[in-house]
Amino acid sequence: MRLHSLTLRNFRGVKDRTVELPAIGTTVVVGDNEVGKSSLVEAFALIFDYPDDSKSKRIIDIQPVGQDVAPEVTAQLTLGGRELTYTKRWLKNKATELTILEPDGRRQSWTGREAHNEAERLFNEHVDPVLWQTLMVSQGQSLVLPTPADAEPLITAVTAESGTPVDGASMPLVLAVEHEYLRYWTKGGRPTGDFAKSAKAVEAAELTAAQALKAMDEVVADIRRAERLALDLDELSSRLTDHLKTVEELRERKQATDEILLRRDSVRARAETARARLENHTRTRVERERLLAEVEKLTQTDAELAERRKDAETVAKKAAETVHAAEAALAEVIELRDERRGDLHVAERLVARLTDRAELDRLLVQQTELVDVRARIASAGLVLDGVKVDEALVAALEDARARVVEARAALAAGVPEVSVRRVGAEAVRLSGTGLDAGSAKVPDELEGEIQVLVSGELVIDVPGQIEVKVQAGGEAATLRSRLDEAVRLEQDLLKRGRVKDLAAARELLRKVDTVSAELQEARRTERSLTANGDPSERITLLCARLGVSSTGEEEEETKSAGKRQAPVEDVPGQMSLFSQFEEEEGTFDFEDLPALEGGELGAAERSLENARAELAVAERLLSDAEFAAAQARKAAEEDRSEAQQARARSELAEERLAAAVEALDAARAVLADENVDAEEEKATAEVEAVLEELTAVQAQADEVGADEAAGLLADALAVATRLQGERDVLRDSLRTTEGRLEQSGRDGLGTRRELAELELAAIRAEHEGLKRRADAARRVFDTLGRHRAEAQTKYSEPLQTRIESLGRSVYGPSFKVWLDDDLAVAERELDGKRLRVEALSTGAQEQLAIITRLAISHLVSTGDNSVPVIFDDALGWSDKGRLRDMGALLGRAGDHGQVIILTCMPERYEYVPRATFIKLES
Amino acid sequence: MEDSITFLHSSDWQLGMMRRFLGPDGQARWAQARLDAVMRIGDVAKATGAAFVVVTGDVFEHNQVERQTILRACEALKRIEVPVVLLPGNHDALEPGSLWTSAQWTGHAPSHVVVVTDTKPLEIVPGVEVVGAPWRSRRPLSDPAAPGYAELAPAPPGVKRILLAHGQLTSLSGGMSDVPTIDQAALEAAVNDGRLHYVGLGDRHSTTEVTERIWFSGTQEVTAPEETHPGNVLAVTLGEGTIEVEPHHVGAWHMVEHHAELDDEESIRALEDFFAELPEKERTYVRLAADGSLPLPLLSQLDAMVDAQGEVFASVERWAKFWTVRPAPDAADLDALQLSGPARAAMEELRQALAGGDETAGAALTLMHRLARDAG
Repeated sequence: MRLHSLTLRNFRGVKDRTVELPAIGTTVVVGDNEVGKSSLVEAFALIFDYPDDSKSKRIIDIQPVGQDVAPEVTAQLTLGGRELTYTKRWLKNKATELTILEPDGRRQSWTGREAHNEAERLFNEHVDPVLWQTLMVSQGQSLVLPTPADAEPLITAVTAESGTPVDGASMPLVLAVEHEYLRYWTKGGRPTGDFAKSAKAVEAAELTAAQALKAMDEVVADIRRAERLALDLDELSSRLTDHLKTVEELRERKQATDEILLRRDSVRARAETARARLENHTRTRVERERLLAEVEKLTQTDAELAERRKDAETVAKKAAETVHAAEAALAEVIELRDERRGDLHVAERLVARLTDRAELDRLLVQQTELVDVRARIASAGLVLDGVKVDEALVAALEDARARVVEARAALAAGVPEVSVRRVGAEAVRLSGTGLDAGSAKVPDELEGEIQVLVSGELVIDVPGQIEVKVQAGGEAATLRSRLDEAVRLEQDLLKRGRVKDLAAARELLRKVDTVSAELQEARRTERSLTANGDPSERITLLCARLGVSSTGEEEEETKSAGKRQAPVEDVPGQMSLFSQFEEEEGTFDFEDLPALEGGELGAAERSLENARAELAVAERLLSDAEFAAAQARKAAEEDRSEAQQARARSELAEERLAAAVEALDAARAVLADENVDAEEEKATAEVEAVLEELTAVQAQADEVGADEAAGLLADALAVATRLQGERDVLRDSLRTTEGRLEQSGRDGLGTRRELAELELAAIRAEHEGLKRRADAARRVFDTLGRHRAEAQTKYSEPLQTRIESLGRSVYGPSFKVWLDDDLAVAERELDGKRLRVEALSTGAQEQLAIITRLAISHLVSTGDNSVPVIFDDALGWSDKGRLRDMGALLGRAGDHGQVIILTCMPERYEYVPRATFIKLES
Repeated sequence: MEDSITFLHSSDWQLGMMRRFLGPDGQARWAQARLDAVMRIGDVAKATGAAFVVVTGDVFEHNQVERQTILRACEALKRIEVPVVLLPGNHDALEPGSLWTSAQWTGHAPSHVVVVTDTKPLEIVPGVEVVGAPWRSRRPLSDPAAPGYAELAPAPPGVKRILLAHGQLTSLSGGMSDVPTIDQAALEAAVNDGRLHYVGLGDRHSTTEVTERIWFSGTQEVTAPEETHPGNVLAVTLGEGTIEVEPHHVGAWHMVEHHAELDDEESIRALEDFFAELPEKERTYVRLAADGSLPLPLLSQLDAMVDAQGEVFASVERWAKFWTVRPAPDAADLDALQLSGPARAAMEELRQALAGGDETAGAALTLMHRLARDAG
């Protein structure tokens, strides 16, 4: 289809407008808002959709508001090779006219409803509605990516180009396969539905079967255990029976030998008693011998220790006397040392006081100099404070003087100079204004002669004779005023400098320089005198140390504060020295302090050295005496300790001797010394007799094997007890196992196991069936899906190639796209970065939408059913760089078909080459 | 034959047995059928005038059957009006925890039922001694029949002696038995020297005559398709030097194994005919083996037919080990579906995979064929 012209009359805001459109190429229809650009598109749609008698709201809406007129549209177009002129008028004077020029030159016309039907038939026959909707982009729809899968011309084109027909006939199968797949699997490929349930059921049944099998295995194990236990029990019972017979035999044998053993036990008891008695007597004898020896030894020791004690006490007494003598000598030396120490102290104090006195004298001299310097500084300060003249003022005065001289010269040159001389006797009176007689004053009555410069008025009056008035003219007043101003300025400066004239000021300036130099010198002297601090502080300290007071200081401070106008002798630091200070030796007056004689301090220092030497001698003596006394004390202490130990040892020996004697006496009281040996011999004989009897009995027992019989019986009984215990354990185990087995029989564990296995087999069989079906469904789903994807890729290739070809002219060679099943662009790759179209920027989306439409248009352009591409306001989201590339693209698109762009922003399309611009005037 | 005596010989009731291929419903009905068969033994006893009934082992499936099985067995035994002698076999050995010593059995067993617990001869009726060799363990160490007769002297004159034993005969086991077998020669010697007049054996489920006086009675109700003559009870009549053994059928179920070659529509119709001709379908289990290859439509038809028969019969089991029917799709099958594009390509890929030996592709192909046919 090609659109050639559209004429709108009484259509919305358009009174009458015809727009001619080139049949091929890109046309940009430019117009401001509300001029009816969108109405062109709307009119084209309405003329085919609504008959002239339609009362649709859409038709009513196109009638201009408030005008009872008939909206009318005429379209000229080519459709299926025929040229159509189609006119329709609605609401008033309704009419439809259609004229068709066939390719062979025949012309046909229709009117009314027939015209409408024929036009509609032709439109439907040659214009695919999906393609038409896809390529006509209404206002605000430029961002929407087209989904042109159902556009028949496109399908024809891609099928023809790719050689792959669209497989629409298989869709029911595809859906059935997907449905079958989803019966067993989720979209993510996990089992679902009955299939998933059966898998879980198999797991549960396996668990149940395993538990049942385990229970039965335990039963079987119990049966084996019970069989073993029964066998073991039989065997053990048999052994026990045999063993009990042996026990009985041993018991009879033992009864026969028991009498001999009883007798042997009796003799054994007696032998034990006799042996104990003998041991007792032997112990008594040994103890007696030990006691006798001990008493003898202790007696000898006691005598020796008493002798040693006596000697030690004598030595200790002598040592104590030696200590006493040493301590008396030490006391004398201490007294001598203390005396020497007192002498040294007196000498040290004398030297210190003489040193302080010498420093005080030096400081008093320094302080007097400082007072003098400070007086000079104060005096210079006062002079400088009173002077108001400086170099700037003198320079200003010099300038002012020059201006006065200059003004006065100008006045003299510019005003009359009157010379008046009295020649008669009559009084000549002078008066007037602006008179200047130089340095002389103009007298009221003239005595001799005078020259007067008249800048105002001069009246010369000779009373009764004549009155002469001289009146200055011209610039006299101005000259006079300048002179006055210069004089006033000079006077102000003199007043500020408090000087009479310029010469006085210069003189005063010279004086100031002199005083300033003196002040600098005085300050340097003051700094050197106070470099080590103010001497007054050190003087105060020394006075305090020497016991001299300086109470006049505060009074002097007060006076100096009140006498700043006469800073003469009143200087801080000047003091009255009081002469009283106390010392251990007594009190004396400062005035009486004798002046230091030369050599007095040296004599005192020599006395001090002597005192120190004598003290050192005394301390050496003391050290020797202390050493001697310590030695004596140590020796005495050792001797005293030795004596004490000797006494203790002696006393201990006495006590031990007494105890030994007491023990011996007690033993003798029990058994006299002479009976001890006899008793021991008697007990020995008794033991020998009993042992002989025991030997005889033991021989008899050995002869009949009495001891073995008892042991054998005891062993046999122990074995019998153990066997009985084992039998009981086996019997209990067997009973327990049999009990368990009976319980398992009651529980029907075997049946349970078989039921569980039956159930498991059934569930497994069902699951296997489901799994076979599920696997088959998956296999079909995957296989079909893969083939469909391959077909889709091949099918969409022509459109994809077109889009990429166009897109690369805008974005460069890395531009790629992927299409989905609806042939819509799903993803875009640029510079290796692949994105879903939803993730692209608004501008990129709009550009991609335009590129896709141009690609579709290009693809279908060779067929009979191509349609114009219409953009109603687009490229609103693109930057200038992209506008240039997109413009070029839109221009090239016109080479293959009709591209119509409606816009109110023509600058967006200024880069479209070879475009036809049509301006719609409002 | 005034001195003759008639008794019934049965064995391997294996009450409580389960068969997974029957499914829950079939299992319940088959278990009841095994009890019904026991009750029919009572009818045969009455009809033949049998003086007593001996059951030579494996009365129960195992010693841990559920209480219900024991109590129902006791009820069935009550329907036999003559004395019944039961011999513990390998399944219900007289081992520790055996059901024979349990309160469930001793508390409910009918008074006319005797369990052989030792090898002492028992005069069950005057002039007839029954000796048994009960299994005391599931793993005997020697000939399980020997203890029953090894120390016997020849029977006193006028006394007929019957040995009850359980186990495989050395001659019939083919050396495959993993437990000691019964020495047939020794048994025959005992018969020949007059110590025994009849040997009733159990363990073999098919009725089998070993010698004139040595018989396996077989199970009262079939338990597997491999059994040749199951479902019988033997009526044994002993006279003076004579013996007559007559099998009476008491079973009601059938277990059938069938192998089919399936290659075309005709072979499927033959299979349909096989099913149609089987009697008592609700009491019949069919184990079906098949091989061959079928076009996809016929394969679908086969699946539908076998599924439908499974509803009619007690159970129809495809014997997985011997079921090798493969789809054999040809171009005509696929053309008939009028598929094109990716669908056609996918189906073709599956067909080639199957042809290349990919078994799983067969199921996928069959499914896809069905879906395409239904969708079309």
